[in-house]
Amino acid sequence: MKKPFNLAIRDFLHGRLWLRMHTPFPTEEITDQIENGHIELIRGINTKPSFMNQKQHFCNRCENENQSLFTTFDCAKCEGPCTYCRKCLKMGRVSSCTELIIWSGEKPVYPTNHILAWQGTLTPHQQQASEELTNSQEKQTSHLIYAVCGSGKTEILFPPIHKLLTEGKRICIAAPRVDVILELEPRLRTAFPDTKIEALYGGAKPTMEASQLVLATTHQLYRFRHAFDAVFVDEADAFPYKADETLQKAVRKALKPDAPAHYVTATPTDKLLSTMKRSGSVSTINRRYHGHPLPVPTYESLWNYEKQIRKGRLPEKLRRWTEQRLSKKEPFLIFFHHIGLMEESRPLFQLLHPHIQSVHASHPDRKEYVQALRNRELPGLLTTTILERGITIPNIQVAVVGAEQQIFDKGALIQIGGRVGRSVEFPTGDFTMFHDGITYAMDDAKNEIMRLNKGGILK
Amino acid sequence: MNCLLCEQRLASTPSWQSLFAIEKTLLICEDCSKSFERVDIEERGDILHHVKSLYTYNEAMREFLHQYKFLQDVALSEVFADELKNVLLNKLKWKNAVIVPIPMHIDKKIERTFSQIDELLNAANVPYEDLLIKTNTEVMGEKTREERLSMRPLFSIKQGTVINKTTYILVDDIYTTGTTLRHAATVLLEAGAERVEAVTLIRAER
Repeated sequence: MKKPFNLAIRDFLHGRLWLRMHTPFPTEEITDQIENGHIELIRGINTKPSFMNQKQHFCNRCENENQSLFTTFDCAKCEGPCTYCRKCLKMGRVSSCTELIIWSGEKPVYPTNHILAWQGTLTPHQQQASEELTNSQEKQTSHLIYAVCGSGKTEILFPPIHKLLTEGKRICIAAPRVDVILELEPRLRTAFPDTKIEALYGGAKPTMEASQLVLATTHQLYRFRHAFDAVFVDEADAFPYKADETLQKAVRKALKPDAPAHYVTATPTDKLLSTMKRSGSVSTINRRYHGHPLPVPTYESLWNYEKQIRKGRLPEKLRRWTEQRLSKKEPFLIFFHHIGLMEESRPLFQLLHPHIQSVHASHPDRKEYVQALRNRELPGLLTTTILERGITIPNIQVAVVGAEQQIFDKGALIQIGGRVGRSVEFPTGDFTMFHDGITYAMDDAKNEIMRLNKGGILK
Repeated sequence: MNCLLCEQRLASTPSWQSLFAIEKTLLICEDCSKSFERVDIEERGDILHHVKSLYTYNEAMREFLHQYKFLQDVALSEVFADELKNVLLNKLKWKNAVIVPIPMHIDKKIERTFSQIDELLNAANVPYEDLLIKTNTEVMGEKTREERLSMRPLFSIKQGTVINKTTYILVDDIYTTGTTLRHAATVLLEAGAERVEAVTLIRAER
């Protein structure tokens, strides 16, 4: 006769790969469930001998196999050589003597009553892409939504997500950037008011519920295994996802076997595009949902801008551009390639308006500043490429300082320009590339934008 | 190789040293190593005759310690290995001294899986002797100054060890009020040590 068990443990641990020592439950309850066979124990690190007496380590949480990211030391707990993974260290160390646990008992049943409260209607293009995505999901094949910035990509996902939810499926929307998750969360909560939704990112507390719709940064997927019937990767070409193989593996690991991953982006990498053409299907949209063209960038030379800023002088053209925005009361974003340069120029911008602020990836007030810009409490923000995508602010105007820098590749520039003119009320706006010499990436981005505006199909 | 702290790729330029594999491999990037502030503060007193601290407790150091001790990133023991080694070997050169790491309570050590000071010394590759035992599990960081100053002895000498009339050099990660080091020094002096000095990686303001 089986003892009744705490359903919260099941709901929490289903599909989740967790450190045994760090669950939100009493350790005795976890031990009971392990003895009952409801929880599977997994070694933190697998080690197998390799040639020449070398050892080959494998992290069972993040599936890291890069041997330079393992460290072996003399462990006081297991009293022997112990290896830990540095790749996923920040989520709590996983070592040879660490145990991971996952629910292996009876699965939770997810509700099938879900309301799609979104009031808008899809354009014919969106509608078509949405249906194609649903078809792919039914065939269990991967799908790529390749759609220009501001074409309403999130809305395209609503009908397929709703359908999956009503089938009692569990799904995940993943994005490489926390900003994208923060932007998506309120929209999805409004669209699916009856659904248990959970947003996971570094620093977010996991809820104890059986969340059926999970929003997560791709890093957080290290903590899932065979959990989802579909994963939608938003902004699939963003750093660090496109460069980090373990993140791509994490998406596959988080999916149930045979369940498909879908991708959504305005600027797919050539690799993603060719893979999807070969082994999946692709929907393309080259018009914004409001039908207006994408803003075409203007080039403005800003010779020796770096030197000028370092000398405490705001280059003339940049000052004029900013003053124009301020006098018209238009919110603006100015992108920099380097945090140091941005921080040096901030006091210069603050002479024009004391409330101009700057944000970068590890800025403590990053969330608050973006929200303040949205609420029109700040006139504008200086930013690194972290805000290049995922954010929508009506009437935002955009400038890039140092558009010739390597970090601003074609994809990044198209994304940055894609912030402009997204709303129906303000479908146009200014997109200026201040440069110290024109690069191929700038021309490629400009040409692609013009080609799309002429109604050209995406390649 | 990537930087152990910020994961940024370490730029490597080909050189003759690297060809003959005698080049020192970098562990952290230039930006990260610049963020630590080397000060070499030296203080003298009665119980502790001499304390040398290498770095200030700035934001970068706070993060370093967090990653090393609380995220248990043992690999970081290597980051300051050369600096510690230089300072400690310099001391050993002049005196017939014994290096003694400040120990952790055994329960605490098992919980952390390693002793952070021992690992620093292992990485620095200097000889040391574990002569002290931590007798309770109290944590300095959680105490006020008054509480720290009025505590019962924190350490005892390991059974079966003989303390000679010589110099002992205590090693700890961080020196704040000095309570820990003074407790350890007192025990050693009472057991017959001639002189007790200390080297700490960090000097923190109270």
